[in-house]
Amino acid sequence: MTVLRSFWLWVGALAVVAVLVVVTTPSVATSQARITHLETLVRCPECRDLSVAESDETSAIAVRHEIADDVHRGESDNKILTSLEAAYGTSILLSPPTSGLGVLLWAGPVAVLVLCVGIGVRLARRRR
Amino acid sequence: MTLIWIGRVALVVALGALVGGVVDQAVALRHRRAGHALWFALGALVGILGAVAAMEVALVTHNFSLAYVAANNATFTPLLYSITGMWSALEGSLLLWSLLLTLVTLFVIYYYRREASDPVVAWASAVLFGVGAFFTYLLVVPASPFVHNPAHVLQGAGPNALLQNNPLVAVHPPLLYAGFVGFTVPFAFAIAMLVTGRVQDRWQLEQRRWTVLAWGALSLGIVLGAWWSYQVLGWGGFWGWDPVENAALLPWLTATAYIHSVIVQDRRGLFRVWNLSLAIATFSLTVLGTFFTRSGVLQSVHAFSSSTLGPLLIGFFFVCVGAGAGLLAWRGDRLRSAVGVDHPLSREGLFVANNVLFVGFAIVVLLGTVFPLLYQAVNGAQVTVGTPYFASIAAPLSVVLLALMAVAPLVSWRSADAGVLWGRLRTSAWFALALVVALVAFGVRRPTVLVAYFLAAGAAGAALRTLRGVLVAAHRRGRWTSALRAPSTGGMVVHLGIVILALGIVTSTSYTTRAEVTLAHGQSTVVSGQYVSFAGFHEVKDALETSTELVVSVGGDQLRPAVTTYNGRNGQTVGTPAIDSNLLRDVYVTFDAVGGNGATSGAQVQNGLPAGSVVLGVTVEPLLAWLWIGGLVVGLGSALSFLRRRYNEEAA
Amino acid sequence: MRRTITVASLVVLALCVALTVFLGTRRPVGDATTVQSPLLGKFAPSVEGTELDGGHFDLRDDRGDIVVVDFWASWCGPCVAEAPNLSSFAWRERHDKVKVIGVVFDDSVSAARAFQTHYGSLYPSIVDPNGDIANSYGVTSPPTTFIVDGQGRVAATLLGPASTAQLVGAVNRVRR
Repeated sequence: MTVLRSFWLWVGALAVVAVLVVVTTPSVATSQARITHLETLVRCPECRDLSVAESDETSAIAVRHEIADDVHRGESDNKILTSLEAAYGTSILLSPPTSGLGVLLWAGPVAVLVLCVGIGVRLARRRR
Repeated sequence: MTLIWIGRVALVVALGALVGGVVDQAVALRHRRAGHALWFALGALVGILGAVAAMEVALVTHNFSLAYVAANNATFTPLLYSITGMWSALEGSLLLWSLLLTLVTLFVIYYYRREASDPVVAWASAVLFGVGAFFTYLLVVPASPFVHNPAHVLQGAGPNALLQNNPLVAVHPPLLYAGFVGFTVPFAFAIAMLVTGRVQDRWQLEQRRWTVLAWGALSLGIVLGAWWSYQVLGWGGFWGWDPVENAALLPWLTATAYIHSVIVQDRRGLFRVWNLSLAIATFSLTVLGTFFTRSGVLQSVHAFSSSTLGPLLIGFFFVCVGAGAGLLAWRGDRLRSAVGVDHPLSREGLFVANNVLFVGFAIVVLLGTVFPLLYQAVNGAQVTVGTPYFASIAAPLSVVLLALMAVAPLVSWRSADAGVLWGRLRTSAWFALALVVALVAFGVRRPTVLVAYFLAAGAAGAALRTLRGVLVAAHRRGRWTSALRAPSTGGMVVHLGIVILALGIVTSTSYTTRAEVTLAHGQSTVVSGQYVSFAGFHEVKDALETSTELVVSVGGDQLRPAVTTYNGRNGQTVGTPAIDSNLLRDVYVTFDAVGGNGATSGAQVQNGLPAGSVVLGVTVEPLLAWLWIGGLVVGLGSALSFLRRRYNEEAA
Repeated sequence: MRRTITVASLVVLALCVALTVFLGTRRPVGDATTVQSPLLGKFAPSVEGTELDGGHFDLRDDRGDIVVVDFWASWCGPCVAEAPNLSSFAWRERHDKVKVIGVVFDDSVSAARAFQTHYGSLYPSIVDPNGDIANSYGVTSPPTTFIVDGQGRVAATLLGPASTAQLVGAVNRVRR
């Protein structure tokens, strides 16, 4: 078998496995999964950088109950986070806001990515 | 009182020797001859050793006439924690830093003593003396550890509780600081090369060896720090993207880029600018790190108390970066390589990608760390940048880096022949696929985990293939030991260590389960497949601490999670977790609360529960031990890399 | 290649100037920050309860004195940093019509007593069993300090560990 053919055979096998994984994975966003995810985004009020998912302080447990109640009541993720922000201040969220100055934080990695691609392109062009 | 005077005088002597060293080198450069660097370095070491000895004697004999000892030591502090007390607070930590720096300075000057008249060596020595003088100045004036305590105190405050309940306090700071201090050397030589204009390869390539040593120490230091946090802080985690943790990570990232980038300079003489910049950046980031840790500007559980050192440290950071950037701008013309990168997907091209990714990540981490300050200055409100942000950047980056590790060691230099590459990759590729299939059959479905294992298998495959090649070549030569010193051995062993570490991180963070269980005396339960039972209380009361331990069985092993109150003002009440660790999983047990209204040594009381029952936090983390094993392998690999032959020594 | 290096170096240099100036002008977090509490200028809510040592305290009894009300907890690190400052401040000002009273925030009595025994306290602290006092003052995280003037109004609020200098400064401002 030629080198090229053995490569495509492998790619094919990889594609099959990938499809299998995607198809057989239950992708239901259960309430519990949502709650757990939200808990990782909210800081425990008394801690410096632990999320309420990780901390066992009384205030962290209280916030976990609040999140669970809100999720079961059918509130959207965004609304839950905003109401927590209103109660405890912006610093309660572990991930900074994406609007306003927060754009800088997310623009940074994008800029680095662009730089990476740019350098790669420049190297390829210089070769010719 | 005598100890205070001995300490102060010793530090002044050290400062004098270091400043004298700078002057001596300046004069020597002027007259184009060798100076007396060795004597000045020895003088500085004698001074610092005197100060260290004075401090340690004071700590071990619990001499409370020193304010530092009164604040960090008590009569009942055990010997180990008295000794480590030297670096458990700000002033003493600077003393440790200066000690390591003077040792490194002396070693480097001794190593190059026969070339002391070479301007590069002279400039590098001057820079080393200058940096040492700065840190020693901090010890003499703004942050002196030898301050007299006017109150006649019979008992000290004792060390911080978290710094006296785990022996890792004796290992983590010295290793970490050894790493930081080690990066002063490539910085000094980079400045020397730029100033003298001698940017030819020899000096740069020698630096690789020292940088690998410093990098190894820093890597071990960071891993041990994570292990220490894990054992002590009580939430089962090991990394919080805390400002001080980030401060240690930043120089590590640029140092990793540097180590890889110098390989290209060794092989093909390229990347000179990158390497000089990375050497300067790494040391500057070290200084920036000390700023974050000691200025009190960012809150952190790892930070020292705030002090007036902030402006001085940030000023010094600027001097270092400014000098470096300025020199690079000035000497830009001499750095032109004769050749360039031939193809973006050749080995050199992938190393460029590697450089950009590591430096880019460092910039992103710095941005995230400084962002709360920026936000507060602009909007006046507090904001937290925590794990979700950093993890969302680190995760895709780790994927790309693992992919690079799987491919780059097998890619040719100068060309990008797909056929040849596939021929080398084939075995790893099929093995990786088979692993994924096995995992899927085992029930693993999370895409992050599957991708991580897939790429990690590829990376391990590439490393093992390279190592096999080395062993075959050594066998042909008839000398097995030559395999140990082959150029790629150390690096591939480090890669294997990183693979183990990465798998440990991915598996434990994806599949950790936490539960709170309430158990009465003699009761047992099963948490995530682990059998946990509570057998009773055990009180410990001695001069050092009052502790309520729980006797808990996990699997067949006995654990003693506790809540301990240390005596002395600094000794708060802390929870001491207990960990049952094996290769497959860690069970992390904390004493969260006790029922009834019994008096305990500070554990949280829950009145709703019957007296004598306890609430345990049980966290089960699969493959967590792989992190520490991986770290150990990384350390081993860097030791091997330190010993390796240079590329063109291959003939022998 | 020469120009790229020069340009890039100067860009990095400029960024580092900005970073240095910015970081060099930040204040350390170690000290307490003065905050605008909604209670400023209003009559201080009631502070009444049983002291950890057994006595009884009522803010109304101290009308005429300046009272420093400090919410603390034994699990709170900055409270440890603050404790000696408050004690020495209380001791120094005890004859100058200044009183210091601590309020235990979200903590068990045994832990609070242990804290007092270990760090020594030259001022009394009262328990706040259901957190009513803390709620009425809007306290969410200790240590939080309120300065109540001679007429019983809240004059200043400090969030975080108060240094001796800040306490002295705040009380002097109230005296004027």
